[in-house]
Formats: sequence, structure tokens, C-alpha cells
Amino acid sequence: MKRQVPLALCFLFGIAMILTQFSPHSYSQAVYREVIVWGLIISPFALVLAVATLAQTHVSRIRFRSEHWQYSIVVFVGMITMVCVGVPFGPKNSVFEWLYDNVQVPMDATMFSLLAFFIASAAFRAFRARAFEATLLLIAAMIVMLGNVPVGDLFWNKLLSLIPGSDNPESWVNSFADGASRFRQWILDIPNGAARRGIILGVSLGVISQSIRIILGIERSYLGGGD
Amino acid sequence: MLEKFMNMDRRIIFILVALVVIIPTLIPVRLPITVSEPTQKLYDFIEELPSGSTIMMAFDYGPSSLAEPEPMAKAVMQHCFSKGVRVIGMTLYPNTPTLADKLMRKIADENNAVYGQDYVFLGYRPGTLPVILGMGTNIANVFETDYAKTPITEIPIMENITNYDQIDLLLDLSAGSLTEAWIIYANTRYGLKIAAGVTAVIIAQMYPYLQSGQLVGMLPGYLGAAQYEKLLNAPGDGTVGLNTASFAHLLIIVLVILGNVAFFIRQEREA
Repeated sequence: MKRQVPLALCFLFGIAMILTQFSPHSYSQAVYREVIVWGLIISPFALVLAVATLAQTHVSRIRFRSEHWQYSIVVFVGMITMVCVGVPFGPKNSVFEWLYDNVQVPMDATMFSLLAFFIASAAFRAFRARAFEATLLLIAAMIVMLGNVPVGDLFWNKLLSLIPGSDNPESWVNSFADGASRFRQWILDIPNGAARRGIILGVSLGVISQSIRIILGIERSYLGGGD
Repeated sequence: MLEKFMNMDRRIIFILVALVVIIPTLIPVRLPITVSEPTQKLYDFIEELPSGSTIMMAFDYGPSSLAEPEPMAKAVMQHCFSKGVRVIGMTLYPNTPTLADKLMRKIADENNAVYGQDYVFLGYRPGTLPVILGMGTNIANVFETDYAKTPITEIPIMENITNYDQIDLLLDLSAGSLTEAWIIYANTRYGLKIAAGVTAVIIAQMYPYLQSGQLVGMLPGYLGAAQYEKLLNAPGDGTVGLNTASFAHLLIIVLVILGNVAFFIRQEREA
């Protein structure tokens, strides 16, 4: 019973929502609108679940004195402080805004900024032209990086200006101007576009087949284990 | 010597990165910017909108990645307000409302735009897909009030806006894959025109949608923000950020080249 009811609901709503996509009838569209509203009501419960899971994880870390368990206390201090300020006084409260602007924003930005340092270090150590494929990747990455910033075209145009006759505006040399950004654009448009389209098609077909399996009750892993 | 170079203390690289970020920020260098086609398309689309049109801006990024989308938001809002195009803001990120609300108010103040008439910020609602799909049938079903808890029925800008049919464009400022959700559910289901302002790491993902016409335009990272500022003839944070990014990119390219040169010399010696 514990499994049959969710399976039946999943089948019923899955089929109903597919039908609403193909039927413009007013009843069908009314069902669609109603289900969307139900979805809006159900969504906040995911947040409750997320908070409960977070609390559960960190309580157990503190209880069992796992490695770096002290940080779990920081999680609770941060969470409880923001809840105590945010829930009764709202997000436009000055204390909440101060905490957000001066604690959360700088900390988030700092964490992300560290990536620049690690990427530079990793690029120096690991980005090697060891094989043909790695060389292709390396060259493409460097062209896209150069084309992504104005310095690329600046250098390219400087190089072109060294070719005799480049000062003549009608020279063939000038048809190669802004080569870094144009080559970057070609890489993104053609090889990247083709590869991405292939990935999108593959993923979409996978999603469709998985959805059909879930609706028909063949795929049941979302129900979790046990009876 | 070669081994020493290849095993260089990473703190030296960290210092170099810090220098190429700090110096161009303190001493701005004006580099020539070429406007790319996706940015031009977005600019042209907004430029052609008549006064009184409405665009929706989704602030789908968090504080961690605000450096790239914020200059884009500033440039586009500046353009909209100068043309009398109204802006409705919202977010699908739970930790963004405070950020987006402040940003909208700041840009609006700089451009003498009035809250409720020229722009509004609706805030955040949980659940990505129900929110995107729900606004397609009725925005008031999803956002009964704006971020300041004013019922949207009392907000002048929302008077004649029921759903996506009255929105001329959605600009998704994104640091993740939410633009794809907007394309799949709002564009495909409701025909809402969509443009994207995405961080540099997302750019490659967006090209198939640009080519298929599902995106009317795109601002690619700092470059897009700087290009838009150039089109507006108003250099701002995007231009400064792009200069900094230029030198950081150059450093990484130089490091990769040096690393590979050292790698090949060592291989040659070993052979």
C-alpha cells in the first residue's frame, strides 16, 4: 500500500499532465492550471525538508564529534541568527540586511574568488599537451580565453600591423582583423554548438525515456528502499 | 633548475594572480572592445521596444557570482529606464532577493525611475518549475505581493500585466543552468521571448539556443557587460572588470605556455 498509492498518483498525474500539453480544451487547461498551483504549494515543503536534513546531518556530526565538528556549531549559529532576525522582522529589516551585506555576501564572494587562484595554479601544473586530444583542447581553450578578452584582438591586430601593406585599408591583411574574437566565435558556434546540440539531444531522449519509466512504474528508485 | 621551475611554490602563482587582479583594478586601462553579435542582438531588441513596454529580469545568481551579472543588470536597466521600458524583477535563488532589491533600487535612483511605476521587484518564490510555469498562467498566483509585501494588485506597473503575454522579454541573469529551464518552460510552452546574461562558464552551453532563435540575445560574462556599456557609451563596472579579467586570462595563458615548454624540455632530456 505504501508503494502502490505513490505509484498510482505518479501514473495518474504523469498521464494527465502529458495530455494537458496536447489538449487546448478548457477542462484540460483548468486541470493544468490547478496542478501548477498545487506545485507552488508543495514546493516550500522542499525547503523545510532541506533545513531538516541539514540540521540532522550537523547534529549527528556534533554528537559523534566527527572531524571538524566545530564547524557544525558555526552552521547552527549562522542559521539560528538569520532565522531569529529574518522570520519575525522580515528580510528588509536593517539588522538582517547588515548581516547579509557584511557577512553572507563577502563570504560567498570570497569562496568563489579563490577559484581564480586555484585555476591558475592547476593550469600551470596540469594543463599539458600530452596527447593529440589534449593539445586540441589546450589550443581551443587558449583561443577562447584570448577571444573572451580585448587583449586577444589587441595582440592579434598588432601582429597583423607588422605585415607589409597592412596600413592600406583595402589590403587583404585587414580582412583578418580581430582574429582572436572571430576565431573564438567560430569555435563556440561550430564545434561547440555541434557538440552541445548532441549532448542536449542525448539528455532530452534520456529524460523522456526515464520519465516514461517513472510514470509507468518501471523505475521506482525515487520511492526509496523498504516496503 | 627545470624541476624547480615545474614544482614552483604555488604561493608565487597566487601572488601573481593577486597582482594581475589588483593592479588593473587600481590603474584602469582602456582596452578596445569589439561588440559581439549576441550582445548586439539584445541591445537592438531592447532599443526597438516602444516606451511603456515591459521586460522581466530574473536575478538567478547568488552573492558568490555577482561580479559578472551585476554589471549586466546595471547596463540593461539603465538602457530600459532611458527608453521608458518598465522592468519587473524577480529571482529563483533564495539568497538573492536582498541583493537584487538593493541593486534595482540603486540603479533606479541613478536613473530617476519610480518604484511601482517604472519598476518593481517581486522577490523569491520556492520551486523553480512551478514558478516559471505558474507565471505563464497568472503572475498574481505566484507573487501575491512584491518584495515589500505590497499586494501586486495595488502596484501600478502590474495593473495590465496578467501573465507572460504582456511581457516583451525575459532577461535571465544567470550563474547556473536556470536559463535552460526558462527556455524549456517559458519559451517553449508560452512563447515568451528570452535573452540571457550569463557568467563566462555558461556561455558555451547557450550557443545552440542562440542559433535556434530560442534566445534573442546574450551577454557573455564580463565581455557582454562591457560590450553593452560600450553600446550605451557608458563605461562602468563591466569595462573595469573586463580589463582585470584580461590580465588574469593573459597570466593563465602565459603560465600554461611556460608549463608546457618546461614539460617538453624535460621530456626531451629524458628521451
